[in-house]
Amino acid sequence: MKIMKLAMFELLRRPKKNLVIASSIVIAVALLTSLSIVSNSANLAIMEIIAKTGHTLTVRPSASSAGSSGEEQKQEYKLTTSEVVLGSYIPEAAVPEIMKNYEKAIKAGWEKKGGLVSTPGIPDIVLEPATWAPRLFEKAEVDGQEVIVTGIEIRKEYFVRFWWNLTSGDWPAETDVRDVNTNIASIFTIGSDGKVGIDKAEYGVDSSGKLIAAQDKKVKAAPLKPILKGWDDAYLGGAYAKSKGLKLGDKLTINKTEFTVRGILEETNSADDYMVYIPMSTAQRLFHKEGLVSMVSVRAMCPNCPVGDAMVELNKNVTGITAVSQLDVAGVQFDFFSMLYKFLLAVVISTIAVGIFSIFNIVTGSLYARIREIGMLKAIGASRFQLFRIFIYEHFILGLAAGIGGYVLGLGMAYVLNSLLDIGAVILITTAFLWRALALGIVCSLVAIIYPAYKLSKLKITETFRTQWES
Amino acid sequence: MSEFIETKGLKKIYHVGGQKVEALKGVDLEIAKGDFVVFMGHSGSGKTTLVSTIGGLTRPTEGTVLIEGNDIWKLNDKQLSHFRNRKIGFMFQSFSLLPTLNVLNNVVMPAIFSTNSERKDTEALKSKAISLLTDLDMKRKVNSFPSELSGGEQRRVAIARALINDPEIILADEPTGELDIRTEREVIDIFCQINKTYQKTLIVVSHSLTWLEKAKTIIVMKDGLIFKDLADPVEAIMEGVCKS
Repeated sequence: MKIMKLAMFELLRRPKKNLVIASSIVIAVALLTSLSIVSNSANLAIMEIIAKTGHTLTVRPSASSAGSSGEEQKQEYKLTTSEVVLGSYIPEAAVPEIMKNYEKAIKAGWEKKGGLVSTPGIPDIVLEPATWAPRLFEKAEVDGQEVIVTGIEIRKEYFVRFWWNLTSGDWPAETDVRDVNTNIASIFTIGSDGKVGIDKAEYGVDSSGKLIAAQDKKVKAAPLKPILKGWDDAYLGGAYAKSKGLKLGDKLTINKTEFTVRGILEETNSADDYMVYIPMSTAQRLFHKEGLVSMVSVRAMCPNCPVGDAMVELNKNVTGITAVSQLDVAGVQFDFFSMLYKFLLAVVISTIAVGIFSIFNIVTGSLYARIREIGMLKAIGASRFQLFRIFIYEHFILGLAAGIGGYVLGLGMAYVLNSLLDIGAVILITTAFLWRALALGIVCSLVAIIYPAYKLSKLKITETFRTQWES
Repeated sequence: MSEFIETKGLKKIYHVGGQKVEALKGVDLEIAKGDFVVFMGHSGSGKTTLVSTIGGLTRPTEGTVLIEGNDIWKLNDKQLSHFRNRKIGFMFQSFSLLPTLNVLNNVVMPAIFSTNSERKDTEALKSKAISLLTDLDMKRKVNSFPSELSGGEQRRVAIARALINDPEIILADEPTGELDIRTEREVIDIFCQINKTYQKTLIVVSHSLTWLEKAKTIIVMKDGLIFKDLADPVEAIMEGVCKS
């Protein structure tokens, strides 16, 4: 038998008392574990979005535009890649002006940073232009169920949301007409039955992918490629396709017009998963929103682009729109989580302190109840250090067990907290949390025992046996 | 018998409620190796204090305790613990056995505090414990817990535990207290056997006169001093008790 085994026996001797001590530690560990997991997961979620979006700017109709509600205004400051804006629009005609302001602000931002300043003899750095991907959101009935149908320019959208992947199907070819947006709305017709149709004979694209009308002289010069291929293509969010059991090649009807499923997106844990995507030009015609878009996502094509400067300039100079830099929103959310974490951490630390104090009281009482036994151990040759070791081992085991219990409880609480605080992060669990939980459990248990154990190990044997030895 | 334990001018003063209580008033004593000494006397006579001072449990206020010529009270805590573990086997009247350990583990317990590597050999230790328990007619109870044992059986286990580290001195405080006469005689017989068979020096504190029949030396304590006139020990004890 070893000292550790003796400690184990002693621990099992008082199950109820030790359970009370352990439960205090379990609660403290669980609180801290759940808080750490949620905080870490939330921060990682933000980091992931930033990593995905890079320096991205979202341009939407401003809150003062028609149809904005308080709820929508609040959403402006929520970091998400799939914000849905219904009932407010930006005219496509305004986009060139927005782009001009953006480019001017980016250039000024670079100059402010000390870059892009022309130096005689050194060629100017040419920045790759940003990618502008518009979206048009509309609620529509799809096979009898209300869904957000989103008009997109598929190739641009795919470029901006480079994390999109298809579980089945293909992206459109580079020269497909669905990417040619300008004036395309005019080529659609609506039949007497309300269906959107197209006169294939009159329109097409030339070899550069540019849309041309049949009567254009160039048509005669260059043979047309297949006209408006893919105008009735639909791409489905992963969750939506799964819930409806839709597969590649299936048909779905939106506002009486039939579409064919050409691709199903991988789930991204965002609102994207629940949408139906159709070509922008088709969507504008289908919903009678010709020349309008709901928002534009801008992917700056340079690392460390001064997108924040562009955001400020756009909001200052262009009326009717609100530009939001995801990086800045991320900063706000970081600050929010950081504040929340610090506040909860203070609460948890107070709880731990109170817990340790109550454990200290219980442990002190419990150890003093063993005073004669301690005297006996000393009498048969246990040194102060060996006695101290017995107490330390007992509480090391207790703390370890409580740490494991606290970790398990903390995991459960993390999911509850995540849901209660509406953080919406994917809970990420690493072994680091387990080690921290074990360390906290052991430290709490040992901190409470060290002083009484030290005092008791120093007691004189006659003090422990007073009634017996001092008769 | 050669000189083994010696006390010189041993004094112990307790401070109780702001008052000085002189438990030992300068005791000079010699105990030979292999002796079987029984300390008797009325309560408060100082016998337990004297024995606990010899055992390295109570530090004297004044005087020396020499075991084989070495002053044990000049040892530090670790050395003193080692001395108690190696040289002395203790037996107490109560609170003797750990209730969570079975008989076998209670017996081997002193060995876990030993610094002697031989005593760390678990198998050898268990064999020795079982052998001791067999000698004490307790083999059948090796896996029992203290709560399952009678008072006499608990004392036998405590004796086995006192012997496990093969100490030279066995120090027992009221080892037959609260036992019926028959069991008391059995325990005393065991002590005699230990003294004869294992050649251990036995120091016993007791109020029971039954020990008088078997002890080699009777020391009667009175008011912190050894009562010298032992022509009739029983009379001396009675005198000590009656005059207190």
